[in-house]
Amino acid sequence: MKYRPYALLAEVTYRCPLHCPYCSNPTKAPAGAELETADWVRVLREAAALGVLQVGFSGGEPLQRPDLDRLIAAAREAGLYTNLITSGVGLDARRARELGAAGLDSAQLSFQADEAALADGVAGTPAHVRKLAAAAAIRDAGIAFSANVVLHRGNLSRLREIIAFVLELGAERLELANTQYYGWAYLNRAQLLPTREQVAQAARVAAEEKERLAGRLEIFYVLPDYYEDRPKPCMNGWGQRYLTVNPVGEVLPCPTASSIPGLRFDDVRNRSLAWIWQESESFNRFRGTEWMPEPCQSCPRREIDFGGCRCQAALVAGDAAKTDPVCALSPDHERIETAIAAINNETDFAITACVPRK
Amino acid sequence: MSEVNLESRPILARHVRLQMDAARETAVLLYPEGVLELNPTAHEIVQRCDGQTSVAGLIAALAAEYEASPEELRDDVLDCVARLHARNFLVFAP
Repeated sequence: MKYRPYALLAEVTYRCPLHCPYCSNPTKAPAGAELETADWVRVLREAAALGVLQVGFSGGEPLQRPDLDRLIAAAREAGLYTNLITSGVGLDARRARELGAAGLDSAQLSFQADEAALADGVAGTPAHVRKLAAAAAIRDAGIAFSANVVLHRGNLSRLREIIAFVLELGAERLELANTQYYGWAYLNRAQLLPTREQVAQAARVAAEEKERLAGRLEIFYVLPDYYEDRPKPCMNGWGQRYLTVNPVGEVLPCPTASSIPGLRFDDVRNRSLAWIWQESESFNRFRGTEWMPEPCQSCPRREIDFGGCRCQAALVAGDAAKTDPVCALSPDHERIETAIAAINNETDFAITACVPRK
Repeated sequence: MSEVNLESRPILARHVRLQMDAARETAVLLYPEGVLELNPTAHEIVQRCDGQTSVAGLIAALAAEYEASPEELRDDVLDCVARLHARNFLVFAP
């Protein structure tokens, strides 16, 4: 087998009590019923047999599934490393102990900010205090504890405070993820996009704090790709290392692939995961380098960044088979420059001007 | 960050799990959103990191197992533990 998947993102539900304006749920959820427990158990076993080593339980909010402990147990039984990607809402001490007993290796708890007023504004609900309780529950259950903060114009200038807050909470790892502009975040781009100065300042703070806290808190800083001149190696190449199964059973090469017009996805209820990985049209559509247009086709970086992100090409350049417009060599790069120019160096953030996730 | 020495007693960090990768028949360290493939020497070392055994103890155990002299293994073991510690995969028991 030429390509082998390493990680499965299991989006077990779209339901979530939060309404973040950069939510990764699709803006129009696909029709269909959520997969049943037995479907997921089979998917997890098939994934392990294909070579997958890791599963991330995500959503929506995965805690909304009452069978989450059974899914975690099934994943561990199949030999997978299990990570829970959660808002923490619904994670009390008892539930954390249950998930730990089921074999949960690690929990990644999201925060919207370091203080409740801003955080609750972004989440559209008073979730911050419940996240503090969830952090304690994770620690007390002996589960490895990572924090994740999505960064945007409204919280990027508070990066130092955010890092201090997460350190105080006792997290071992911190992922600082600049917003990626797809789906809900794309709808809210004019409010969420930070200025160039904010981004430069934040990169300095992240680098300083990473060095200062080495050995105490491991910091990962995900760059804001709009301000880069080469694209990110999205998913490490289409259909090369990752697969996502969404709540209704569709298998996607990346979590946002359903936003690409004209791509159809196979369902785990009709096809084996192995067939979908190896044979399906969607997984083969942008695999390797043959599909690439210029300037990617002759670019020395074509197997470093794989032409960037297909969803971003579809969304911004109007065609998923074009070069990621973030790349300065893309003929559509001007559209990124225009989006940046349109915010006009505005640093004020008005959550009320955002469309909340519905 | 504490430096490795012969008295250090390494153990896998809480977020890291050692496992065999059946597809490639190699040992891997699994951690949130990542996989590190171990070479056979690193595997021999990591599987003995229990938070009780010191680096000196690891060297002695490996020397006995492979009928090598501890002096020959010393730098390789120290180097391997230091590298895994720098990447936060191994921590040292207090």
